[in-house]
Amino acid sequence: MDFSVVVEYFPKLMQGTWVSLQLIALSVVLGGIFALPIALARISKNPLVSGLPFAYIFFFRGTPLLVQIFLVYYGASQFEVVRESFLWPILREPFWCAIIAFTLNTSAYTAEIFRGAIQAIPVGEVEACKVVGMTKVQMYRRILLPRAFGIVLPAYGNEIILMLKGSALASTITILDLTGMARTIIARTYTPIEIFLAAGVIYLAISMVVIAIFKQVEKRQNRYLGPNPVKLPDDV
Amino acid sequence: MSKVPALELNDIHKTFGDAEVLKGISLKAYDGDVISILGSSGSGKSTFLRCINLLENPTKGEILFNGEKLGLEHGKGPDLYPTDMGQLTRMRQQVGFVFQSFNLWPHMTILENVMEGPLNVLKRPKKEVLEYCEHLLNKVGIADKKHMYPSQLSGGQQQRVAIARTLAMDPQVILFDEPTSALDPELVGEVLGVMRGLADEGRTMLIVTHEMNFAKEVSSEVVFLHQGLVEEKGTPQKVFEAPESERCKAFISSTF
Repeated sequence: MDFSVVVEYFPKLMQGTWVSLQLIALSVVLGGIFALPIALARISKNPLVSGLPFAYIFFFRGTPLLVQIFLVYYGASQFEVVRESFLWPILREPFWCAIIAFTLNTSAYTAEIFRGAIQAIPVGEVEACKVVGMTKVQMYRRILLPRAFGIVLPAYGNEIILMLKGSALASTITILDLTGMARTIIARTYTPIEIFLAAGVIYLAISMVVIAIFKQVEKRQNRYLGPNPVKLPDDV
Repeated sequence: MSKVPALELNDIHKTFGDAEVLKGISLKAYDGDVISILGSSGSGKSTFLRCINLLENPTKGEILFNGEKLGLEHGKGPDLYPTDMGQLTRMRQQVGFVFQSFNLWPHMTILENVMEGPLNVLKRPKKEVLEYCEHLLNKVGIADKKHMYPSQLSGGQQQRVAIARTLAMDPQVILFDEPTSALDPELVGEVLGVMRGLADEGRTMLIVTHEMNFAKEVSSEVVFLHQGLVEEKGTPQKVFEAPESERCKAFISSTF
């Protein structure tokens, strides 16, 4: 093995990393924004309100991300309406197709995580809101959402890591993200082990940063639970 | 004593599936009344209390607050729902409720828990609310813990905070749902002490409790429920010392 190729192509790998980070950051932020209303609609007792988000989550959780990417990238261009619409400049770009697919996918998962967190809040705390005469909006804004945010963090951190790994699929629609760039370099140098190892290490490093950030946020957000909120079997 | 009862419940019924838990309970509470509601478990006393501010939806009956009738209508199923959420919300702001399991908001400090209602629901000015809430925490003996979180307090302390949180809304009537049942025996006294103080101030209170001595000393009226009906009611002297009903007699003698 000759790791000098890694050194030589390091700037290229960094370029790919930058594209990957953009993909992840944009889709996680957009997905998170869409997830909240989807989760709130999903909780509704009215089937007319909860039906659509249910179907949405069902579809995006039940089909492979790769299929979703292909559907947006190859599918959208099949329609003349799309090709002639003002959206075409966006839908023609593989980067934006990936963003759209990732955002739809991660918003479905995140909505489900939010829903679980909101429903995990003890009934008594909700009743405590009712008896002081809070309106629904006050209840969500002051108690339920801040509480859900603390509960959601571990699962949400996990979802971001999954998104990070899923972002490698962007390389299948010609995007030169970290994986795409690695494949391009390998096509030129025939050093798959060295370059893929390097790419793997970079993915790991990004994961570590994400995990570390979430650990800090969790610590801060859940400080009210006391120093040892979860009892492990050996503590007994 | 005003002519109009602060709280009037007429013929409250409640069914859960096939089980009829409340079979028509009526009660009037005038300003300054301290009414204890007793009964063995399953008699419907907690359900009755929870029906008053619609934590539980009654299946039949009338609820009047200061003579104003709460609008109720049937939805799907047997339960009654409020016709006007705004009216219910207004009523709830004036009827305090203290839970058996405290139900403090764990992500807020003690002081924030107490300030939440007056500050964000009643929209009172912050300075005034802060002053008043600190006074209330002082009164229930928790002032030194105001910046701690609920998980750092004992059960008795949490319940005292919950009482302060209720008082912060300046409620006209306070409902207590077995406020000491979730507490260790040695912590019961501190909570009862606070409640006794409120009774002495002339607060209007409805208390579901198992603390017989407390009920006997503090109440102006005692109601004994059995299988969803009022079995016996009257002054504490009458209910505790000369109950007419056999069941009430048996219950009283078994608890002392």
